[in-house]
Amino acid sequence: MQNLIRYLCKWELALVLLLIIELIVFGSITPGFLNVGNILYSLNDFVYIGIAAIPMTYVILTGGIDVSVGAVMGLSSITAGVIWSHGANIWIAVIIALLATVVGGLINGLIVAFTGVQPLVVTLGTMFLYSGIALVISGGSSASGYEGISGFPENFVQLANSTILGIPNPIILLIILMAFFGAVLHFTPYGRHVVLVGINIKAARYSGIRTRWTVVSTYLLAGLGGGLGGLILTSYFGSARSDLGSEAILPVITAVVLGGTSIFGGKGSVIGTAIASIVIGFSQYGLQMASMSSEQTSVVIGVLLILAVVMRQGNWREIKRRLVSKKIPDNSKRGAV
Amino acid sequence: MPFIIKLIKAREVSIMIFMAAFFIIAGAINPEFLTGSSLSLLLKSSMILLLLAIGQSFVLITGDIDVSVGSTMGLSAAVCGALLVNGIPFWGMCLAVLMVGLIIGFINGVGVAQFRVPAIIMTLGMLGIIRGAMLIFTGGKWIEDIPNYYKKLSSLDFLGLNLAVWIGLVIMVIIHLILTRTKFGRNFFAVGDNVEGARMVGLPVKRVKILAFMFSGISASFAALIFVMNIGFIPNETGSGIELQVIAAAVLGGVSLTGGVGSVIGAGLGAVFLTTISSSLVYMKVPAYWNNTISGFLLLIIVVGDAKLSQFVKNRTSRKSKFNKPVELDGKEGDSHAKSNKVLM
Repeated sequence: MQNLIRYLCKWELALVLLLIIELIVFGSITPGFLNVGNILYSLNDFVYIGIAAIPMTYVILTGGIDVSVGAVMGLSSITAGVIWSHGANIWIAVIIALLATVVGGLINGLIVAFTGVQPLVVTLGTMFLYSGIALVISGGSSASGYEGISGFPENFVQLANSTILGIPNPIILLIILMAFFGAVLHFTPYGRHVVLVGINIKAARYSGIRTRWTVVSTYLLAGLGGGLGGLILTSYFGSARSDLGSEAILPVITAVVLGGTSIFGGKGSVIGTAIASIVIGFSQYGLQMASMSSEQTSVVIGVLLILAVVMRQGNWREIKRRLVSKKIPDNSKRGAV
Repeated sequence: MPFIIKLIKAREVSIMIFMAAFFIIAGAINPEFLTGSSLSLLLKSSMILLLLAIGQSFVLITGDIDVSVGSTMGLSAAVCGALLVNGIPFWGMCLAVLMVGLIIGFINGVGVAQFRVPAIIMTLGMLGIIRGAMLIFTGGKWIEDIPNYYKKLSSLDFLGLNLAVWIGLVIMVIIHLILTRTKFGRNFFAVGDNVEGARMVGLPVKRVKILAFMFSGISASFAALIFVMNIGFIPNETGSGIELQVIAAAVLGGVSLTGGVGSVIGAGLGAVFLTTISSSLVYMKVPAYWNNTISGFLLLIIVVGDAKLSQFVKNRTSRKSKFNKPVELDGKEGDSHAKSNKVLM
């Protein structure tokens, strides 16, 4: 365990170093980059990635994955928009939208925990399902694909666009989420259960942890995270669209994995995820300032992701050993099928 | 081995039953859907997904996953378009396009087999890299003005079936024979079924994995060739998002994400089924935006139903074999997670 903590500290330190290098490099390329106002403002553009990635860390910690989170973002956005446009109070609409995403996450979790189908397949199916439902809601209320529903009340739009003590609200939300999920993960029994389920689900079950409900709860939280991200985006742009966040899944998973969470589960930290999402965001923003299009920056993110994993495996022989020792019982079971 | 074959057969049969049911419902609502011309159009439009699903099956059967196929298809299509516009002859163009897929697949394979990067991470990263590379290559512009001779290939028919359909079917049958009848083909199943076992009996595990990714890359290039033929221009977003449909098609057709189980025929059927759903909606007078909802719902039903079925089959067969006792001990709960860990390797 101490090894694990030491390793996490190291990896997070490396991420912070990477962040500082980024700031120096981009600062020297484009002079306006290091302006504090600019940096805070730019964080706004990708804070929804971090908001979705933090609960996603839990899912990946248990050894699962949730690729439906992008669809959930669109679902929450369009649900809130459509309910509002039918005359409901915007905050009621927001609450209903969040409830919808919780239900979405719950469905993911229940299917994963109770049917024995692989999480990737389940969430792939629900990804189609939720994005489809979002489209149906949008199409049924004839919201046009590109503009969506706009004209929200000022206080909702201000939610993501105003600041407290000079810090934009979404960033405050990100920090609160990071502190909350980080504390829950590292200091509560529930957090330890999540990690233990990822390390060895059978051992967890035999030691009396309600593994199924632990798994369900992580997907539920991931759904909620996607919903929050989608609503922040809606408020930020001032318009609700069904395809909002549909491209988010690559950066979200990148943030989690770059943050040091093992895709096999059982190892990772929320703080790492949060720092990694800021690293990704800065690289996107910096490259865009250096006049690259947002699609071209995906090259850099992809390289970052692969290099991070290769580097980490090269530097830490123990992980490799652990992975190998983990693989053998799995394989013997696979052979039996 | 007979059990696995039985299982595969069950998967293919169950998807056929679902497809037949779907055709009957769609045909009952609108008989026009069952006419020859609309069915051949359906086959023609499912060929891109079918080719990708065949390539993906190799990777899935070896126990990995390839989410970069959509962007590989995009880059291949862009290369294809650029070469055609610049007047490069047909065969030279084909060779170059296939090389694109081959090289990308090779990089994926080396990353996974040699550097031990988990397949989903490696190919997710490559997805971003290739998509960006495509946009840098095209400069963000659509490629138009594809020469007419190439576009006309899409309307060539032999014996009532389209050229693209023939290409797809021939490739599917050849690959099915290779996978099931040759030692080379069975290596993929062996590696996917039990990596350590395969290594111990002396199979070239790394080479097999790299080859699987290369096949997946080439299939994406083939799909790109057909895409350019059918569509006639190359938008920037060519192939984006299709990777998840491809995996869905393969899974629908009974290819297991845990490796070692599946057939290209099944994957092909899955691809045709997914296309059937989307193209039947027009005939059933359902607005097109229902497509994803229905596909997602059916995918979940079939996959969950099939998981229950195979659990049942597994429990029955494991009683007969003393080697399978641990599976029984395992219970059902958490199985998915133990499996998912393997999937993501």
